[in-house]
Amino acid sequence: MMNLLLYTGLILVSVLLTVQSAHVLYLMLYTWDQPDAEKETRGPEEFLAPRLSFSVLLPARHEEDVIQTTIDRVVRADYPADLLEVFVICSADDTGTIAKAEEKIAELDREGLRNVEVVVFDDTPVNKPHGLNAALPETSHDVVTIFDAEDDIHPAIFDLVNTVMIQDEVEVVQAGVQLMNYQSTWYSALNVLEYFFWFKSRLHYHARWGSIPLGGNTVFFQRELLVALGGWDDHNLTEDADLGLRISAAGKRVRVVYDDRYVTKEETPPTLGHFVRQRTRWSQGFMQTLSKGTWKQMPTRKQRWLAFYVLAFPHGQALLGFYLLFSLGMMFFLRVPVLVALVSWLPVLMLMAHFVTQAVGLYEFTDAHGLEASPKAVLRMAVAWYPYQLVLAYAAVRAMRRQLTGQHNWEKTQHVGAHRTETSEANSHAA
Amino acid sequence: MPRETRPQLVVIQDGDPAESGQSPTPGRNPQPAITEGRFPRLGPRGRIALGAAVLTGLATHGWHLFQYPLYLTDEGIYMQRAWSLVRQTRLSPYTYDYDHAPGGWIQLAGWAFPLPNQFETFGNAINTGRFLMLMVHLVSVVLVFEIVRRLSGSVLAASVAAFFYNFSPLAIYYQRQVLLDNLMMFWVLLSLFLLLCRDLRIRHALGAGAVLGVALITKENAVFFIPSLLYLLHRRVRGSTQRRFATSLWPLAVIIAVGTYVLYALLKNELVPTGLDFDLKKPPADHVSLLYTLWWQLHRSQGSLLSPGGLLYGSWIPRDGLFLLAGLLTMTAALYWGFRDRQRNLGFLVIGTLGLAYAFYLVRGSVLLDFYVTPLIPLFAMTTGLVTHRLLARLRPGLRIALPAVAGALLLLLPATGYLLTVNDEGRVAIADQYQPKLNLTRMQEQQIAWIRKNVPSNARIIMDDDLWSELHDVPPFYPSAHSHWNASSDPDVRDKLFARKWQNVDYIIMSNKMRQSIDGNNGDGRENWILTALRNSQKVWETSQGDIKLQIYRVG
Repeated sequence: MMNLLLYTGLILVSVLLTVQSAHVLYLMLYTWDQPDAEKETRGPEEFLAPRLSFSVLLPARHEEDVIQTTIDRVVRADYPADLLEVFVICSADDTGTIAKAEEKIAELDREGLRNVEVVVFDDTPVNKPHGLNAALPETSHDVVTIFDAEDDIHPAIFDLVNTVMIQDEVEVVQAGVQLMNYQSTWYSALNVLEYFFWFKSRLHYHARWGSIPLGGNTVFFQRELLVALGGWDDHNLTEDADLGLRISAAGKRVRVVYDDRYVTKEETPPTLGHFVRQRTRWSQGFMQTLSKGTWKQMPTRKQRWLAFYVLAFPHGQALLGFYLLFSLGMMFFLRVPVLVALVSWLPVLMLMAHFVTQAVGLYEFTDAHGLEASPKAVLRMAVAWYPYQLVLAYAAVRAMRRQLTGQHNWEKTQHVGAHRTETSEANSHAA
Repeated sequence: MPRETRPQLVVIQDGDPAESGQSPTPGRNPQPAITEGRFPRLGPRGRIALGAAVLTGLATHGWHLFQYPLYLTDEGIYMQRAWSLVRQTRLSPYTYDYDHAPGGWIQLAGWAFPLPNQFETFGNAINTGRFLMLMVHLVSVVLVFEIVRRLSGSVLAASVAAFFYNFSPLAIYYQRQVLLDNLMMFWVLLSLFLLLCRDLRIRHALGAGAVLGVALITKENAVFFIPSLLYLLHRRVRGSTQRRFATSLWPLAVIIAVGTYVLYALLKNELVPTGLDFDLKKPPADHVSLLYTLWWQLHRSQGSLLSPGGLLYGSWIPRDGLFLLAGLLTMTAALYWGFRDRQRNLGFLVIGTLGLAYAFYLVRGSVLLDFYVTPLIPLFAMTTGLVTHRLLARLRPGLRIALPAVAGALLLLLPATGYLLTVNDEGRVAIADQYQPKLNLTRMQEQQIAWIRKNVPSNARIIMDDDLWSELHDVPPFYPSAHSHWNASSDPDVRDKLFARKWQNVDYIIMSNKMRQSIDGNNGDGRENWILTALRNSQKVWETSQGDIKLQIYRVG
């Protein structure tokens, strides 16, 4: 009896996991598998004349090193200066960044560029969504957008969004963000590919079905829409995903553009510690958004299901990584009936399919960005692949633990004062 | 970047190498561009032709299905294993020694299981299997028709292919039988068809791979079709955005079924022989082994296809030499055109090499059984269709239709062909065997069974052939001690435990002249000697015969 129960459970879990990972695979390949999607995801080949004006928000925390370059890149983007305004957002205690920003503003002023200012807030919580909310009332242009301090934006990005917003009559545009340094650490190739598949393929599926978690930067909103929705959720670790679902719930269409030529370039977290903390934050943010229940307000069942599915994924991830070990163990050491073992082999097969897809993705990615992938890079990826899944699973478990023990926001870490880098990363790596 | 230089948008040219020189020629008879999936629509004429092909298939294969041909040993074996899967959840009632991959009878079991009377729904187990073969044939007709039409752009070519696939006596004889080859070819054709869909996406490539995997575990010799299918896939996705994903996930899809089979053996600890001993003179004693069996099969050889007494002259040419000749010639022509211009003549190349690969397997000189010709039938039908179209393309439209129509009518009406009519033993023109209402071969086997049920106690120890197995094990009263001579001479459980290799332990031998031949054929090492002794010490208690078929029952002792 006990055995029968165990076997039924095993078969059920295996089948569920197989279906789930087949679905994820489908989402990863969505763009390539649709006859026209690949064309649709690209940007327009010709730009319209600049018409929309942009308010650029640059949340920054302890970004003394890079903030000047970032400001410079934005104001020198290839778009008329009178249609651009830039707000550098800092909390009052971050005097270093404020000083650097003021210095840059003075420098630009001497050149005659006067469209940058610093917004300082001194209330809590000190985090990215709160900063964005503080700056929103200061903005006056048609479109509000966010860039992170270390973003390497393309000079034509405003032209691109101006064209897309006018041509497609959409109020929200998510443009592609891409990690680039696929060779710096053992996990970076896999991390880079996550972005690649997410922005190039999967987000398009979410956009098409009207249930999309947005990224943290290179995302463009019509200002009125943002104001009508009441800005960002201060207490959410992934305010971007939350906002995306609220926009979807309001029935607004989101256009995703992943054009290899115009992506915003970023870098993978420098150390494994950073990576785990970043991933923990995302996972926990998704868990928060899930329990907050915005997704329940979506109009159609398909939208609700899709939102639930993406938000609940970290929970599943916590299980997934450890399942492979378990299932192999089951097959060869526990001597379960052959049929049960054969069924539990299906998820393993799916994982193989995922790996092959990612290996191909590496070639697609490097091709798209004029880099070169080598069999050695694929081999490195193969070796790193399972440990990477375990790291993801670990981060998901860690997020679950924090969520359960009530460690909900960055405020606390801030008070403890032990996670300076973590906080700064909270501002700079949101996606 | 300096401010002044507005980024110049580079219009990325869609790299589409297939475009050049391959645009479809306008006109009544457009050459389809296979690489781009520019296939002409089926259209009303095509629909009528396809419908006619399916109905013809239903008539040629369905009529007289349960009466002709005689139930074959192998049909019995596959049904017996499907029976075991449904009733015993095992892959065989005896020790499964990986002689065939199990996909075929898993499908047969899946077919029989939901039927109201399961294996007895159509009278007996083999009939039930044959009904599935009919269904499979009808779908295969659609596949053959559409594959040829897409490759040639011609309804005429497709109709010619379907004609031979339906009417050739060779096709009818083997495709009515419950053979793994029929199921395997169905999956191969489906895989080919999926690779020819109008707009090939990743999911189609995955589907084509998965289906080919099923073909491989239905019958392993599908392996000879892999190169051509892979090449077709390559050509179809070349230059497209999804090409890398399609070509690298395709093998993985093939592995779904094949890997499951290998894993099955691995889990049962039956993948490799003990001590990795692949010595062909010493079969593994303690347990069976998938890889050993494969190794052994690769090294079997038995006569030559082309020897005067071989299958080619003894069996295949008498059934339909004309079609085989046409197939061989058209395959050669297809290969010639295909290799001369791979870009334009992709259809010729793919079908031609499919045929060539399988023909190579046949002449390679391994063990050959009568029905191994089966997979060649749809391939030869397809090359014949394709080449006919090519040869007739220059003629006037009226003539283009009339010529094959006359040829078809001649084939059907000339008694020498055996397509509809034949010349019987008395020298008179008669309806061909496969449709002859007076000829009911399987009734003899039914009479044999009826005699057993009436006169033989159900605990009798019986040696017989596999075609009767399901009948005696699935229909009450059961004869649990009825086994085929194959198992009685080689399976330790039957040979040593039940019969102890003593002729005195046999009660009845249910014999046919075919079984007598296969006993001799199987007796190279004297393993059947004790059964032959039993036969010598027995008396004939029942007999019937028709033409060259003789059935007997012997009581031993």
